[in-house]
Amino acid sequence: MGSFELNTTISNLRSLLESDLSAYDAVYLGNIYCRLFEDNFLERMDDLKEGITRVKDQGLRAYVTSYAAPRNDALPKVQMALETAAAAGADAVEVHNLGVLRMVHEQFPGMAAHVGGFANVYTDAGAEVLKEYGAVRFTPNYEISLDEVESITRGAGMPAEIQVHGKMPLGVSDYCFLLEYEQHWPEKCPVLCQKQLFLKQGDWAMRSVGKGVLSGKDLCMLEHLPALVAAGHRVFRIEAAYETPAYRLQIGQVYRAALESAVAGDGTVDESAWQAIREHTAVGLCNGFYFGRTGSEYVGKRVEAIAACG
Amino acid sequence: MVELLAPAGNLEMVKAAVENGANAIYVGARGWSRRRDAYELADEQLHEAIAIAHAGGAKLRVAINTNMQSCEIPSLLQKMDKFVGWGVDGAIMTDVGAMAQVHRRFPHLVLHASIGANIVNNQDVKFYRSIGVSQVVADTKLTFRELVARQAELDAGIEVLIHANNCYTYLGKCWMSPYHRLERTTDNFGKDLFRGSPNRGGLDYRVCLEQWDLFDGEALLEPQIALKNDAFFYLDDIPALIDLGVHCLKIQGREYPVPLVASIVRFYRELIDACLAKPADQPFDLDPWRLRLEAIRAERDGRRGNMTLVLLNEARQPVPQPA
Repeated sequence: MGSFELNTTISNLRSLLESDLSAYDAVYLGNIYCRLFEDNFLERMDDLKEGITRVKDQGLRAYVTSYAAPRNDALPKVQMALETAAAAGADAVEVHNLGVLRMVHEQFPGMAAHVGGFANVYTDAGAEVLKEYGAVRFTPNYEISLDEVESITRGAGMPAEIQVHGKMPLGVSDYCFLLEYEQHWPEKCPVLCQKQLFLKQGDWAMRSVGKGVLSGKDLCMLEHLPALVAAGHRVFRIEAAYETPAYRLQIGQVYRAALESAVAGDGTVDESAWQAIREHTAVGLCNGFYFGRTGSEYVGKRVEAIAACG
Repeated sequence: MVELLAPAGNLEMVKAAVENGANAIYVGARGWSRRRDAYELADEQLHEAIAIAHAGGAKLRVAINTNMQSCEIPSLLQKMDKFVGWGVDGAIMTDVGAMAQVHRRFPHLVLHASIGANIVNNQDVKFYRSIGVSQVVADTKLTFRELVARQAELDAGIEVLIHANNCYTYLGKCWMSPYHRLERTTDNFGKDLFRGSPNRGGLDYRVCLEQWDLFDGEALLEPQIALKNDAFFYLDDIPALIDLGVHCLKIQGREYPVPLVASIVRFYRELIDACLAKPADQPFDLDPWRLRLEAIRAERDGRRGNMTLVLLNEARQPVPQPA
């Protein structure tokens, strides 16, 4: 790994083929919310194998993610995805479910396991348990602060992967309410959830992807990257499972440049970066829970830039 | 014999649960469980709760099922020293690290994986067994078929919620409430509280129950979308659950008034006893029970609806900023 890793998420082969990944070091393949998502890598083993190969051919690391809440009936497919990941030379698998972590540990002991945000790592003691099961990296639970993240990385001696931009997961369900309404709309499952659907009430907004609920605002840590780097973080994620290739490319370019500056000790962010973010922001920006506050709030100095994104 | 596990949000409710036939009662340690502090017990009250339960022939479990901070685990272990010394019969927990440490320190204490652990498959159960958990609460979304599969293949005790909420999202995997409002405070004993985060022991503002409008970009697609979130009572499945051999039927509801919880406990006590007393070759007539449950359900729904309005209103209040 270079001085840092910037990674992103891609749900299917079509999106992978349409995406320019030049800003990234690694890619997570698969959609964690829904087995019915259009040609989900996690359901199509030939696509997954091709996806891993294509990512690695670009000199990037290929990671295979797994479902956020797999019930028993999904486990055979999870097993197949793990086998495909191992056979195709994936660099790691991401697990959100501790049963799946156990499967990886027992059946694929050489495979690096990244613990995902739905696995609920809140404490250093929890991370230590998962380390014993082969975890080498963790995404902190989405509702903990950076101070808490630091206590986990320090206490457990395991690096954290920090989401720096994109819609933040707010929940996962076994039930897609969009299916109740789809007869009213021209788009149907499995592409309906890829529309820009928002649940709104007053000034509240959440992005709906059917079985998943995401933040309405984009989590944005652009102006806080120097602090993240100073705190020792080196793995950063742009969450883009439901975003367009243009979003993935332009936001990736913004963060690649800003991270290179931050690592070099320069905290300045070019104004054009904020313009690019504005173009890809529908509702506004937030910092999630990183500063111990309400997840939809934004804390920072760039008040004007942030207001323009609302 | 299946165990009837009742909630208690105060000492009066502990007494009522025992008197109405609960085999076990669970209470939250103040600041450490998935309910607001008004429905949790201070340490000395918890001591008294253990005595009340044991005097009535019931067990007492303590819920310490918040997702705590790393720095809080030593305090938790100190609390557990007291509770175990007082004779608590089990602990309901969520954080895997805290569970592993409690198990190492008290290897004979029965550990229950909370609903917040979101245990959804058999591999999950095996994972939790490996860190010392002996009973798991089945996620409310699991089907009867999944419970049967679990019971057949695993050695962990299964607890099934028979009165609870079935949220739109999986419990323990939802941050909708603190995304809209999170208030950090501390209680009188210095314990951090996360008002707005049910996973962290605050309260859930139930924002999923808001009347959401669905937009495609800026265009209104559907007004007043309802995200499924039901409070349920099991009835038809109770005889089958007993036949299946589930270890524990669990009632949620620490936040409800004592008389309502007492009537729920009494209802299920009598239902379970009637099921067990029924000759194996005779069908069990649930119709009289259905009528009785409707009255309880009506009162619960009224209370729940009012509580939801209060919470949604509170969720709109600004968070006081530190001076």
